[in-house]
Amino acid sequence: MPATIADLIDRAIAGCDVLTVTAEPVEDECQYVTDLGTVWRARLRAIATSRGSEPAPPGTDDAITALVEEAARIGDPHRAIDWLSTLPQVALAALEEPG
Amino acid sequence: MRFMDARPDGRAVVYAHIQADPLVLRCAGLLADATTTQRLLARAVMNGESLDPDTWRTMFPTLFGPAAPAPGDPVRDRSEAVLEASLQVADRGDQTRSQFRGAIVEALTERLLAARTGPVRRERRILFDGRPAEIHPYDVTVEREDAAEAWDCKWGARGIKADVLHQLDDARRGAADESLRMLVGLVVFDARRSSEVRLVRERGPVAADSVRLIALEGLDRLAGRKPA
Repeated sequence: MPATIADLIDRAIAGCDVLTVTAEPVEDECQYVTDLGTVWRARLRAIATSRGSEPAPPGTDDAITALVEEAARIGDPHRAIDWLSTLPQVALAALEEPG
Repeated sequence: MRFMDARPDGRAVVYAHIQADPLVLRCAGLLADATTTQRLLARAVMNGESLDPDTWRTMFPTLFGPAAPAPGDPVRDRSEAVLEASLQVADRGDQTRSQFRGAIVEALTERLLAARTGPVRRERRILFDGRPAEIHPYDVTVEREDAAEAWDCKWGARGIKADVLHQLDDARRGAADESLRMLVGLVVFDARRSSEVRLVRERGPVAADSVRLIALEGLDRLAGRKPA
């Protein structure tokens, strides 16, 4: 069964969850990490609400897979914080959604 | 109000070599005319781990997928050039790549501003009568008497800190005390959403509308044009 946009959003959010765990050792940025998670998860969920049942456009399934795999490669907690902002932006670009 | 060169120190000497590196200048040149998605590609690659170009092509179907412009199209060629140059930056060690990224944002800001106004200078201090001068220079300045500008450049939203906002606001207030106009702002090579989140936390006593924020999606505004 082809993936839907809701499926892709779920995977992108799971990628954010992995990055949040990687970023945990940077204690003085805990609030910023929480804030980033709040605003970007809300943005991604809004797309799932409006377009979730649509089939994933060509190329986006592989794009989100590659994106989440890249997030899992990030081992440095500081870079993980940067990626907490980067991953949702790239996911939105793949889905041709504005930031 | 007057502008002057920063005092040279060890950090400045080392950083000057990075600022003049051909790869920095090439990246800035490519990104100056890039689309928002191409700039996002550069940000992701320079922040990433993978050095395999196909991984990144897969991640950006709107630039490299079946519906993207075909090879030979100028937009596609720029996407490939941005990817190739960004991978060269990513291939440096962690510390070097960090310095390169900062220098690229500054060089990009300089180019975009120069498309709209001038003279544009780098690493300059701003002096006001009766006020102690800030030690740290401003990254990029527009030194027009009737419409001066001072910009601080950040690779990521995390670089927005209270001391940076204070320094920018200090320049604005110094100019106002001399009845001069000065636009002060932050150029952040990161999403507006992330930058605003950071700004809200770090702003402190700095007035909400005193520091202009230019994020990745709005970089073309520096050049006085709409996003490509």
